[in-house]
Amino acid sequence: MSASLAPECNEVKERYDTCFLKWYSEKYLRGAEKDNKECAGLFNEYQKCLSVALKNRGIDKLLDEAREDNKENDVRLTAPRK
Amino acid sequence: MVLTHSTNHTYSHPFPTVTLAYFLRYSSPQLNPFAAHVLSTDTISSHVDPETQRLYTTRIHLKKSRMPSAVYKLLPASVSGGNSGEKASYILETSVVDIKEGWMKTESRNLNFTGVLSVVEKQHFKVPSSLEAVARNETDVNSSVSFKSRLGEKIRGKIGQAQESSGWVTGFLGGLGAKGIQRSIESLASTKTIDQLSKSRDGMRLVLERLRNGGVIGVMEKLRQERQRQAVAM
Repeated sequence: MSASLAPECNEVKERYDTCFLKWYSEKYLRGAEKDNKECAGLFNEYQKCLSVALKNRGIDKLLDEAREDNKENDVRLTAPRK
Repeated sequence: MVLTHSTNHTYSHPFPTVTLAYFLRYSSPQLNPFAAHVLSTDTISSHVDPETQRLYTTRIHLKKSRMPSAVYKLLPASVSGGNSGEKASYILETSVVDIKEGWMKTESRNLNFTGVLSVVEKQHFKVPSSLEAVARNETDVNSSVSFKSRLGEKIRGKIGQAQESSGWVTGFLGGLGAKGIQRSIESLASTKTIDQLSKSRDGMRLVLERLRNGGVIGVMEKLRQERQRQAVAM
């Protein structure tokens, strides 16, 4: 499985990825149980680890900028034509 | 100006398998040798809308820079990060899967270097509209990539990612014309990316073949064995 950008999160990331792929292929794609509750615990654990790395590397700021850009584009593209 | 390139393609695999291959395409260089430039992949959000039952996923990939070296040559080190700098881009990937309606929409954009060049790739996978194609287990995809350089433009009060104090933006761009440099960057990047699009399709096809031969359990077992080998090697 591919690595996490934060090596310290690799282990929990892999456990989450495996859980997600199993849920996705065995349940979601087959139209069974839609909610992936079974991976929620692992996901939270993974995010707790990852959020620190995102902050340390300034990626949280890049994400905010990308969202800001999207908003500007949405306003521009959905503005009524003159 | 924005340069946009759009293509249609048909995979000879059923729609659910194609969506699974999309999620798996960067999971290992063994599974997909065309993804060796992907350094890391992380999921930052994943949820199913309780009403529509659509799956929304957001991931961040770190890729060795896909910006062509010709673009770097146009830029001073203060903007490009220099030759010694880590030339890697963070890519934000968002996707929505609707398994009931049979479509998946994805969008990928770079998070850094946006002051120099923004690349946005969109893909729309869907179950084909003709019954014959559905019977052949095919999946259609439309891909579009757009390139926009905002080098030297004011972005929310900042001038690109360049330092105005370097005097480069006003001097170099002012002299040669910011628009001309922007057009060059867009066209250099689009030529290179269009070459890479066929590689990215080859990668998807390889993952799809491996899913056809081993199924997802087989693929996951291979990935697990690979992890163990790596752990032993460390």
